[in-house]
Amino acid sequence: MASKSRLLKEARECAKAPADLGISLQPDERNIHTWRGHIRGPSGTPFEGGTFELTLSVPQNYPLFPPSVRFKTKIFHPNVHFKTGEICLDILKGAWTPAWTLLAVCQAISALMADPAPDSPLNCDAGNLLRGGDLRGYASMARCYTLDLASAPARQLS
Amino acid sequence: MAWREQSPERGSQVSSWNPGGPASHRESTLDAAESRPAVSVGEREDFVDAPKTSVSSISGAGEESLTSRPHTEHTVENAEQNPNLNTDSTPARPTDDQILAQENSIREAVAESSPFVGDKEPLAALRKEYEDGSAVFLQKISTLEEKYQAIRRTRGDGNCFFRAFIFAYMEDLVQSNSLQERNRVVTCMRQWKPRLIAAGYQELVFEDAQEMIMDQLNSLGTADPVMLPALETNMRDAGVSQMVVMYLRLLTSAELGQRQEFFSPFILGMFDDCPSVDHFRQRYVEPMGEESDHVHIVALTDALQVPIRIVYLDQSLGAAMAGVGHAEGAAVNHHDFVPEALQNATGPNAIPKVHLLYRPGHYDILYPSKSA
Repeated sequence: MASKSRLLKEARECAKAPADLGISLQPDERNIHTWRGHIRGPSGTPFEGGTFELTLSVPQNYPLFPPSVRFKTKIFHPNVHFKTGEICLDILKGAWTPAWTLLAVCQAISALMADPAPDSPLNCDAGNLLRGGDLRGYASMARCYTLDLASAPARQLS
Repeated sequence: MAWREQSPERGSQVSSWNPGGPASHRESTLDAAESRPAVSVGEREDFVDAPKTSVSSISGAGEESLTSRPHTEHTVENAEQNPNLNTDSTPARPTDDQILAQENSIREAVAESSPFVGDKEPLAALRKEYEDGSAVFLQKISTLEEKYQAIRRTRGDGNCFFRAFIFAYMEDLVQSNSLQERNRVVTCMRQWKPRLIAAGYQELVFEDAQEMIMDQLNSLGTADPVMLPALETNMRDAGVSQMVVMYLRLLTSAELGQRQEFFSPFILGMFDDCPSVDHFRQRYVEPMGEESDHVHIVALTDALQVPIRIVYLDQSLGAAMAGVGHAEGAAVNHHDFVPEALQNATGPNAIPKVHLLYRPGHYDILYPSKSA
């Protein structure tokens, strides 16, 4: 199966990823189609200091079709569903290309954390704060949730 | 980086703030204005430049199609988080997994009804499609029949150009038993490896697909009668066919990326939503299922140095243009896509051996008559 060969290569690549990337990513030991990732909250954002866990479920026809990615750690962000952790990101849907890798997807999600797109919110409370220009309100809510829910010792990112 | 590019826009939206809001989000903006106390002006601007982004390599990832989310979401979300709203009337939004599952089941249904590449059929099969249809089409098919004898259909899944092209090309290699041409294209693909890396693709992204297409090519060119059925079997196999299409898309995209100056006038003129060639590559070339246009065809013919003839079957009556038509009947236009390096050449390589039939939105393979 093409997806398996590709995923094994990606797993090797991820093991070599530099620590300062702020992303760790590895497949489940028993199932190469389920991956777990950790993103360090980008510095200079309300998520700084937090570590956010992601689950990636990779379809059999990967890389022709995108993985399905969710935040497992709760996060207050306009483009992440507060309850389900679902992420609204174009490359996970129609703009997916086989040139992306799972690691690049995590980098894109990290970039999305720093650059929210409040005009297409999955979390309207977060989106409304930003659309209303209340950046301070947004930042303090997001920071509050980061401190409360995402600040367990970041052992995965040594 | 996206944040900094957006900042001025966001600033200007804030200063010209009105509850009507920016076009496509009018309703949800109104909701927001009603359910939330007004924000004091002084607080609005002071955060704009604050966040420093740390990942800068993946620009543009989060934008354009984000805005295409349906409006129902806003309503659902508001309902969930605001207990005062009545939630009963709002249907639950399907999850991404459900949407993907549905898309997969649709694809499977299509797959069962038509293979990636069909069987070779006499051109009469095409006439049959239009028996009760447009007279223009029937006239044009008559004109086509003077030059072409058969057609092979491809699946209409947005990848038909790539699939039709590579099948027709490989089939010609089998029929002509041309080891020279086969070796040329294999060498060409081998030379693409460093070029793909230079174009920014990680090796792990394309190496499996490249090996697969080279294996296919290397197995051709021996005058074995089982060769054609074997080719048909392989190119109908999802594992092979899809990877081959993916590889051709990456080649096309890399060719566009490396000759931006040449291609950008075509792309920026034709696709309103593409601010750059790179954006076009990521949005309309690399994703599977995105349909091909002239730009894709030019880039692929250049990338592989293989000329292609496209024959156009449509409603137009432009008899004045060059075509395979004749004086009285309806002329059928065609266009030869010949790589620049071959344009002044006279050898057999300069004459298109791949003939594709274009009907608006779809490409199939055409087979010239022996006498033509």
